[in-house]
Amino acid sequence: MQAWEFRMRYLRLYAYFLRFSMSRSMEFRLDFFFRIIMDLAYYAVGLGFFHILYLHTDSLGGWNMHQMRIFVAGYILVDAVHMTMFSNNLYMLPRFINHGDLDYYLIRPVSSLFFLSLRDFAFNSFINLIFAGGIVVWAVGTYPGTLGASGIAVFLLLILAGALLYYCIHLLTILPTFWTQSGESLHQLFYNLSRFMERPDRIYRGSIRLLLTVALPFGLMASFPARLLLEPFNWAILAQLLAVLTGFLFLISFIWNRGLRAYSSASS
Amino acid sequence: MIEVTGLSKTFRVHKKEPGLMGSVRSLFQRQWHEVHALKSVSLRVEAGEIVGLVGANGAGKTTLVKCLAGILNPTAGSASVLGSTPWERRDGFRRQIALIMGQKAQLWWDLPAADGFLLLREIYRIPEAEYKRSLEELAETLQVGDKLTTQIRRLSLGERMKMELIAALLHHPRVVFLDEPTIGLDLTAQRAIRDFLLRYREAHQPAMLLTSHYMEDIERLCARIIIVREGEIVYDGGLQEVLSRYAPHKQLSLRWDPAPGEGIRSDLVPASLGEIVSAELGLLKIKVSRSKVAEIASLLLQRLPVADLNIEEEDVGTIIEALIRKQ
Repeated sequence: MQAWEFRMRYLRLYAYFLRFSMSRSMEFRLDFFFRIIMDLAYYAVGLGFFHILYLHTDSLGGWNMHQMRIFVAGYILVDAVHMTMFSNNLYMLPRFINHGDLDYYLIRPVSSLFFLSLRDFAFNSFINLIFAGGIVVWAVGTYPGTLGASGIAVFLLLILAGALLYYCIHLLTILPTFWTQSGESLHQLFYNLSRFMERPDRIYRGSIRLLLTVALPFGLMASFPARLLLEPFNWAILAQLLAVLTGFLFLISFIWNRGLRAYSSASS
Repeated sequence: MIEVTGLSKTFRVHKKEPGLMGSVRSLFQRQWHEVHALKSVSLRVEAGEIVGLVGANGAGKTTLVKCLAGILNPTAGSASVLGSTPWERRDGFRRQIALIMGQKAQLWWDLPAADGFLLLREIYRIPEAEYKRSLEELAETLQVGDKLTTQIRRLSLGERMKMELIAALLHHPRVVFLDEPTIGLDLTAQRAIRDFLLRYREAHQPAMLLTSHYMEDIERLCARIIIVREGEIVYDGGLQEVLSRYAPHKQLSLRWDPAPGEGIRSDLVPASLGEIVSAELGLLKIKVSRSKVAEIASLLLQRLPVADLNIEEEDVGTIIEALIRKQ
């Protein structure tokens, strides 16, 4: 019962974040549309890239064009969820840490990490999220085989798990700011590494594969959900996805608390 | 309510030599040095008290406030605020405190204050009826009832600060930290905020810790002050006791109509009475011990044909200023 109330309270807080973000996001029109166009271009590049590859081959890592399309729709969705819910907040975080702007978040009787990760909901990216949803519908709709409704539901849930994992890794590249006072280079590293998400995990082998599906799990965020939808059900990869996500959630909360201990709240 | 023992906070900062070469050098070999912002500070504050924290910039006031609000983890020592250790940041603790910083805004810039208050109501889980009551009461006392739906950034600095005060006090905190709440405000707004704080104290009896650079704030609000210098408490006691402790003298000025050719006769005003500041014809200024003011004044009144007597007290602000810099 208490857990239920706890969740409801955080949902209500999130509803406030939505309301506030909505009234603020309309203020800057140019920026609003620019981001929509940028991200649509990113989706087009992703889809186009594999489209061209399949002009030359029928199978990549065991997937045909239609299967690959579902995978691409999946990672686009991961990106769109991240852009909509987390990206703006994480972008601001290093500045907050350096300028001592965490102060007011730390005195509130609410999880400061929840607050700082979700306070700004990007409505322009939300429009992209709708497009991304459309791409998923299209990829699933044009799929020649049969995909059960429950399979699709699980796929979407796991894509959300993937987005959460994506957020965790993004946050991990920002948290060193507590100690280094400047997180720019690591932040860049995140964007570079995130490209690994855009390729199916089967193309990675050996130690690289281990790295990309456990320690820097870009390889499993979109690939594993797609495999669970398209291939015979495999407990091992489901377990690995959930285990890695749980591990990362613990890791960020551990490092976050460590960081707060080092936080120096740059004086006014 | 607040109990602090041996609290220390040390920051490690790196020294950078000026210029490009200095930057290059610090890339490879970094020189760290330690800044002791707080050195074994101990104090107590009770409910209903407004204690003024006074000190120069960088003396450690803000660091102390931030440790007690749970924002900073101290290097050593212990503190108990409302029975819990602030930097453990328990929800039960955080629900009962408030922090107001004149230099940092908590309300969302692009939104009206009313929206921000709603979010705070949810954060602090303030029951609807209580929320309405306390918002009405606070807005009325601060006279900003008609500004609640104006975007924060369209408010004047004074109005904004009033909104910040409402935001901080909606949940009726039992401990309130105020870090320069009147900074940059004009005199009318400063006075309004001071009056408000006094009334709020009267009604709710919270423990308040206040830092300010304005002596006026301190003198009007605080019966007790703590003077901090270079991370150490150099004075903790009544505001008026600062005078007896650091200004043990008062100055007597006596004016009379002198007879032609008359000088100050040492048999009438012996040096043992006090330190003669200036003595000229018809005007004597003498510094005497605080406890003997009445006695000496009446003695001199008998001996000299005094027309006017003035007893001057050194200004508390001046004394505190001197204490802050160095005795």
